[in-house]
Amino acid sequence: MKKITILGLILIFSVMMLMGCSQGSGNDELVVGMELAYPPFETKDDKGEPMGVSVDFSKAFGEYIGKEVRIENIGWDGLIPAVQTEQVDMVISSMTIKEERMEKVDFSKPYAKALLAMLVNANSDIETMDDFNEPGRTIAVKIGSTGHSYAEQNLSQATIIPLPDESACVTEVAQGKADGFIYDQLTIYRNNKANPDTTKAIFIPFQDVEYWGVAVKKGNTELLDQLNAFIDEFYADGGFDDITEKFLKEEKVVFDELDFEWFFSDVNE
Amino acid sequence: MDGDKNNTVTKPNDGKNETFKAIGSILIALGVFVLFFYISLQRLGLELDFAFLYQFRYRLFYGFRMTVAISIFSLVLSLFIGVVSAVGNESKLLPLSYLAKMYVQFIRGTPMIMQVYLFFYIVGTAWGITNRFWAGVLILSIFEGAYISEIIRGGIHSIEKIQLEAAKAVGLSNKQTLGLVVIPQIVKRILPALAGQFASIIKDSSLLSLISVIEATQTIREISATNFAIFESYIFLGFMYLALTFPLSMFTRYLERRFSYEN
Repeated sequence: MKKITILGLILIFSVMMLMGCSQGSGNDELVVGMELAYPPFETKDDKGEPMGVSVDFSKAFGEYIGKEVRIENIGWDGLIPAVQTEQVDMVISSMTIKEERMEKVDFSKPYAKALLAMLVNANSDIETMDDFNEPGRTIAVKIGSTGHSYAEQNLSQATIIPLPDESACVTEVAQGKADGFIYDQLTIYRNNKANPDTTKAIFIPFQDVEYWGVAVKKGNTELLDQLNAFIDEFYADGGFDDITEKFLKEEKVVFDELDFEWFFSDVNE
Repeated sequence: MDGDKNNTVTKPNDGKNETFKAIGSILIALGVFVLFFYISLQRLGLELDFAFLYQFRYRLFYGFRMTVAISIFSLVLSLFIGVVSAVGNESKLLPLSYLAKMYVQFIRGTPMIMQVYLFFYIVGTAWGITNRFWAGVLILSIFEGAYISEIIRGGIHSIEKIQLEAAKAVGLSNKQTLGLVVIPQIVKRILPALAGQFASIIKDSSLLSLISVIEATQTIREISATNFAIFESYIFLGFMYLALTFPLSMFTRYLERRFSYEN
């Protein structure tokens, strides 16, 4: 009796697995994964609809290849697995092109670039990055961010505190639990502006530029070719100038004043 | 429950046969389970490679040890908080009783993620608790204490009035009644539930990765954040927790069986 039940169970499982159709997107739909927690690049409007630079960028690409774009909001840790398991066709989420990531996914050519900066407690005596690379110093980073790998490579003497989100990192610094928080310049600038009494911003001088790319499933050259052609065209047509004008007008002024490189300047030159 | 009954009914000379049958059934069940995951992986075309874990063995061991340490400290402290809260709940001093009731209601009615942030960044900072390990133990104990409090309260209420009357009739003092009649029975009755709660403590300690306590989950998050082998990492994490919770659940079963006979 029991054996028959078990055999039946196995049979049902097998049939289920053979019959169940894959959950991938339809042909006319392009599913783009992003973590909607990084304004103004990936965020939500007041009604909860996806909004921002990456959203407009993906919609322009959708138009270019004639597909309807659907945005999936996925946590940072889950973005690459979502591409790997084909839950999304691509990830456009201000993701830096990194070698470790390239082992899991393929990247388009860069469409933007960024540099890191550091938020420190207002009472801190820290002035240069060298002050940080000492035992007893604590650095908050967002898990898996480029700030995280920068800290591991360049601030190995300090204690690194990896946290799941940006707001926790900023809280650590504002409360003095951590000496600093490393993230991109825009985030640091914005959080410094939001907490002017408790924090100050330090910009890291010597570092490599980080290039952002679109991640697709390994081996999907068709989509990759379309993306690369689109990025060239979008640049040539001034698409990124329009996006800057729409979402990043204020920041552009500040970046120019501080002599920082802009996100969309000379990316592929 | 049915399984337990079957075991007791079994004739002694059938014992060996039954054991073989049980092992066979377990193997078949395990086979179905593994096959299901294997086919799922095949369908997605994912290949898993666990070899990199060896490279991180020291960190993994450290994280595992940290989870064990946090769980043990939290078990002791949450038991203490649970007893105090349960006794407070039954207190005739009304403000104390309401305080205990509010504590249990608040903790059980809100998600732990919110409590972790609230206690660490507001309460912890205000009172100077900066050590992440002890802050973590404290937060976890406060959380689990509310559940333990309810288990203990259930135990207190399970003591029939007639026993107290009987104790009085035999001439025991209040102290003797408590020590010889009430407490031993409460302990016996709530022990299986308490052991089960310990498994929850082990699992819930994973939420302390939110404040970067370097326990098992945080270690895995850090590793998978750098090499992106998220599936292998989290499957291994599952086995680390199972290594702790499985023996515990066996022990809980054993306690349940033992005490169900004695009653």
